[in-house]
Amino acid sequence: MTEKKPDDIAKLSFEQALAELESIVAKLEGGQAPLQQSIEIYERGEALKKHCEALLKAAEARIEKITLSKDGKPTGTTPLDD
Amino acid sequence: MTTLLITQPDGADHRTPPGHPERGERLKALDEAFAASRFGRLARAEAVAADLVLAEAVHSASMLAALRAAVPEAGIGQIETDTFLSPKSLEVAASALGGALMALDAVMGGRAENAFCAIRPPGHHAERNRSMGFCLINTIAIVAQEARRRYGVERVAILDFDVHHGNGTEDIFKNDPDTFYGSSHQWPLYPGTGTLDETGVGNVVNAPLPPYSGGKEMREAYRDRILPALRAFGPDLILISAGFDADGRDPLAQLQWQPDDFAWVTGKLMDAAGGSADNRMVSLLEGGYDLVALAEGAAAHLGVLMSGVAAKAAE
Repeated sequence: MTEKKPDDIAKLSFEQALAELESIVAKLEGGQAPLQQSIEIYERGEALKKHCEALLKAAEARIEKITLSKDGKPTGTTPLDD
Repeated sequence: MTTLLITQPDGADHRTPPGHPERGERLKALDEAFAASRFGRLARAEAVAADLVLAEAVHSASMLAALRAAVPEAGIGQIETDTFLSPKSLEVAASALGGALMALDAVMGGRAENAFCAIRPPGHHAERNRSMGFCLINTIAIVAQEARRRYGVERVAILDFDVHHGNGTEDIFKNDPDTFYGSSHQWPLYPGTGTLDETGVGNVVNAPLPPYSGGKEMREAYRDRILPALRAFGPDLILISAGFDADGRDPLAQLQWQPDDFAWVTGKLMDAAGGSADNRMVSLLEGGYDLVALAEGAAAHLGVLMSGVAAKAAE
């Protein structure tokens, strides 16, 4: 089996990582992961999950509230947490 | 009380490719561990091959024919991703079965109260219609059916603490209300089965355990799920699929059991066997791929079988 090295995970987009994670979950649940490699596949799934979580967190930090003027026009942004 | 140990002199003749975890050295590690003086009281016997026609009780004729046809004349053949055959593999599967049936005969005949069989290849992944996951035939399932045929045993309980779910055993007995199947195993992990909602006809109890969990979670699962269901079932005979790969050192899984945990679960199953089953218990080796962990876990298991005293659960 040619698994990508975990270093490669850092380069994956959220969509790519999630797609691979979903395929790993399906493999594990569907019994398609070989006995000898089941644990490696699980560990790659864990690494993908962490990568997705980190990307979500980074995206969350970038989301800002759009502030509007009295007539409803956008005037700027403020951080979400303020 | 007598405990019988079955060993398998030809066990290493089932050869797997270099680097494969299910290898002949596993039995050598057990032989060395059981040579210790504290095992001097054991009754011992060497496995003698049974006729593989007995496997027809749980496997389809087409599967067994395909298995026979896949045996290579030389070298090593592969029947699926994980599972390999060498020229003598079926003879070794037959001696594993024969050894397990010798244990059954001794326990049912009153010559031993319980027995442990240090045999390979393992069996609990072999389904009615396919060999898989290092397993050629489902030895424990055949023993359950032979207990019925030879001794008229009605209610058989199979308990499986191998770290992998015994999909084969569940597949064979999921529609049989007279056979109980209870399994603790890591989930998710190979083979992907063994979820809580797999209950058969009320005769199957699965206890999936999360990766990296240890003895505490395992004890809760047995106390809360498996043992109450086992007692309610009221078995006449208990068979154990004894894998020692839930140990934290095992390379194929992530549960964190220690040898004491195998002793604890053995004691609890003996408690359960002390009722309706009149202490009759036959235990068969399944997995366990770290040789040191395998030897320590199996020694803990066998030590409790010999002691006749159920391990006290640490509450």
